[in-house]
Amino acid sequence: MRSNGSVAEHRVLIPARAVAELTAAVGEENVLSRAEEMLVYECDGYLVERSIPDLVVFPTSTAQAAEIVRICNRHGLPFVPRGAGTSLAGGTLSIGGGVMVCLTRMKRILEVSLRDRYAIVETGLVNVFLTRSLGGTGFHYAPDPSSQGACTIGGNVATNSGGPHTLKYGVTVNHVRGTTLVMPDGNVVKTGGKVLDPPGYDLTGLVVGNEGTFGIVTEAVVNLTRDPEAGRTFLAVFDSVDAATETVSGIIAAGIVPAALEMLDNLMIQAVEEAFRFGFPTEAGAVLIIEIDGLEAGLEREARAVAEIVSARGGEIRRSIAWRTRKEPEYVAIWKSRKSAFGAIGRLSPTYCTQDGVVPRTKLPQILRHIVDVGRRHNLRIANVFHAGDGNIHPILLFDERNADEVERVMKASHEILDECIALGGSVTGEHGIGVEKMEFMPKLFSPADLAAMLAIRDAFNPQGRCNPLKMIPGGAGCLEKTGPRRAAPA
Amino acid sequence: MSTEWSWPASDAGGVLGDGRFAVATDRPRTPEELAEAVRARAAEGLAIYPQGGCTALDYGGVPSRPGVAMSTLGLDRVVDYPHADMTITVEAGMTLAALSAVLAGQGQRLPLDPPEPERATIGGILATQASGPRRFGLGRPRDLIIGVTFASSRGELIKGGGRVVKNVAGYDFPKLLTGSMGTLGVIVQATLKVRPIPETAALVWTPLADAGAVASALERLNVSLTRPVALELLSEPAAREIAGSIDLPIDRYVLVAGFEDNPDSIAWQLEQIRLELDPNDRAEIQGQDCEPLWRALADFQASRIGPFSIQANLCPHSVPGFLDQLDPARMSARAHAGDGIVHAHAIGDWSFEETAAAVSRLQQLAAAEEGYLIVTRCPTDWKSRISVWGLPRADWPLARKVKATLDPLHALNPGRFVDSIETTAGMQTQSASL
Ligand SMILES: Cc1cc2nc3c(=O)[nH]c(=O)nc-3n(C[C@H](O)[C@H](O)[C@H](O)COP(=O)(O)OP(=O)(O)OC[C@H]3O[C@@H](n4cnc5c(N)ncnc54)[C@H](O)[C@@H]3O)c2cc1C
Repeated sequence: MRSNGSVAEHRVLIPARAVAELTAAVGEENVLSRAEEMLVYECDGYLVERSIPDLVVFPTSTAQAAEIVRICNRHGLPFVPRGAGTSLAGGTLSIGGGVMVCLTRMKRILEVSLRDRYAIVETGLVNVFLTRSLGGTGFHYAPDPSSQGACTIGGNVATNSGGPHTLKYGVTVNHVRGTTLVMPDGNVVKTGGKVLDPPGYDLTGLVVGNEGTFGIVTEAVVNLTRDPEAGRTFLAVFDSVDAATETVSGIIAAGIVPAALEMLDNLMIQAVEEAFRFGFPTEAGAVLIIEIDGLEAGLEREARAVAEIVSARGGEIRRSIAWRTRKEPEYVAIWKSRKSAFGAIGRLSPTYCTQDGVVPRTKLPQILRHIVDVGRRHNLRIANVFHAGDGNIHPILLFDERNADEVERVMKASHEILDECIALGGSVTGEHGIGVEKMEFMPKLFSPADLAAMLAIRDAFNPQGRCNPLKMIPGGAGCLEKTGPRRAAPA
Repeated sequence: MSTEWSWPASDAGGVLGDGRFAVATDRPRTPEELAEAVRARAAEGLAIYPQGGCTALDYGGVPSRPGVAMSTLGLDRVVDYPHADMTITVEAGMTLAALSAVLAGQGQRLPLDPPEPERATIGGILATQASGPRRFGLGRPRDLIIGVTFASSRGELIKGGGRVVKNVAGYDFPKLLTGSMGTLGVIVQATLKVRPIPETAALVWTPLADAGAVASALERLNVSLTRPVALELLSEPAAREIAGSIDLPIDRYVLVAGFEDNPDSIAWQLEQIRLELDPNDRAEIQGQDCEPLWRALADFQASRIGPFSIQANLCPHSVPGFLDQLDPARMSARAHAGDGIVHAHAIGDWSFEETAAAVSRLQQLAAAEEGYLIVTRCPTDWKSRISVWGLPRADWPLARKVKATLDPLHALNPGRFVDSIETTAGMQTQSASL
């Protein structure tokens, strides 16, 4: 375990020569070096650990990114790629300091082809800007993480992000055709491209989800997807969480593939309703947002089937939004409420920890009962808002970071929930990644041989371990001492 | 490694493809047995040639070193089928047809339609990333695989992914093994997403006189209000082969749009497509009657007419122009037009020189648009003189590094892919990277 002090002990000191070279490479306006300027870069959406980088640089081209990496190599400096810093797993934590390479000034859309259904973008582009720029064309970029208003395509590629609508349309890896990768040795390699399925190894598939440990992805070729012709979005209300999760299992088992299937429990409903006043019933035990889409002509049948499953479990469809575009005000309102749910948590508690586990969809009732039980045992409030259709839970554990005992209980509770996900045949992360947060779970999911193979692959890309060191896969080559992640109160 | 092995002169030990014979064929019955067999054979200095249904034995370069055939056919069990979760975990030697029968019992299917489902195994389909017409709407193997276990050449069982539909723990070995052609590991087990069997289907078969008409029809279909799950473009000889004994109108080209959904949706889409495409002649096939035609569309890829076959991956917009480069008297072609994937077979006699010239010209054409063209089948003695894997690619050095990482002994399918590309085709790869 890394103690509070050890981060400082291992700090590399960045030589003035290196600062000068990096500044020359990107220009003074693209460098931050004063501690107060860099404060926001000391952590990401995972607030439990902090470590300030020595320098933050903003490349504006692939060539600059490659030059930065070469300079880091010459001086033996670790570096961490970063997008918007919305990672919930500490993926951008600058362990032991070093150079943070922030992509947010590379945000151009380089090419769009509706005929061939792709876009080529710089990876600092914010997710929603791509979809917005496609408004009116009849096409969109399908992966829609709830954080899409802030997170970057590069962050999405690095973590293989999901979102409410990836249930039907697939997660990021299903929508990336190619990447431009600045390798940790400074060479630039393109994997894939605008043409589908280059014969041979699916290097693009391997690069997606690497959590910034293979290098810096500076450009991505992504799929464009046809907009649905029509849809229905239902707000289904239930007395209990059980009834809602049984409904989820029922819908999936009936062979219906909803476009989205999201759940909010009572605590979450109250927070969201207070924040957005959409009209969620604050007395309900749980609500489901059930969306089906497709061709108007075929939707009525599916809508009836959904309604039957809901009422068979004692639920009630309180709102039914029939839409032809995703711009209709009521549609926008319900999804704004859902996607901003984490933000609304601020009303309930000063600090919170969002967990990310997955269970087979039929096991949702069990895992949610387990979460209630864990909350009761550790005397914690836990809110739930999550991608139910994928079995991807997001229990949000509320705490006050000044209360050390409560922080301790939050950590214990998180572990118990994730262990139960594993016991039920699931995983400890559906979309947020391993980062530093979940490395200690890797040996529970994978055998030593599995992990050795993963480390070998990482070493093939990142032999010095200089690129995003000490993340994702425990052990292996690294320019810093091998340590496990610490789970302590914020320093 | 001990003895120097030599190539067997007969097929007594089994076949490896490309006229090469196996020293022996191992038929392990469990993943553990298979891993152990791989370890032991590699330790004897033998290469390992994984085999499933043997539908694609001649794919890629020529086996370069004596070895054993490692059959996966003994690994044919369903490991776990939580049907209400819409996933299934199966061993790699199960055929697609056998898997489909299991899934059909729950009204489900694996929405992949590669050729020869009675022979093709799940492991083989994954290893070759084989797909068919429905890939346009329903995805490829890489979109359906969520977990994999493979045997490394050291004899370890290694897994990646898991059994849940969403999971980002660890590097994506399921994707890496998909399309790896048995050169990184022997796939022994996979977890796949399945889908409900659609209520009904329809195929709209439209003959078109020339590439211009095809291009404009495809452009309209790209923004059609309908949602086809397949868009197949057939050149005249391919259309004749696929139509077979079914009486269907044929012209220089035929465009086939496939639909699957509930009856209300299908009825509406058929009406709509009539408005959007309006040629004089057209055939609509519905419901059960679609089956033989779907099947023929899928099987076309496996037909062996003349001496060689090619696959081109292009941007969809350039598919009509590319097909127009192929003389219908000498090449029979079918494209997954929505995805830009073309399969074409030579017809009749072709000399090596003619073939090499044609392949080289088409490879240039594909590369000019950042596409790829590979030779999926040709006489073995041509393989040293034709670039079966296409023009050199900048990602090959990285691919080779991945290969050396997972198979440091170079025991798995040596000669088939990256480990031999330079020597096979006698060409320089770009060394811009690594
Ligand atoms: C309110 C909220 C809601 C969220 N909802 C979702 C959701 O619905 N689905 C979901 O999947 N996630 C969700 N997340 C998590 C997070 O938004 C995603 O992981 C997102 O993809 C991160 O993008 P980013 O640009 O912020 O990346 P960062 O946080 O900056 O980085 C994330 C990781 O990617 C690496 N990285 C970033 N850019 C690059 C690059 N160009 N090249 C190489 N590596 C890179 C970093 O090193 C790090 O390991 C949510 C987060 C918040 C705060």
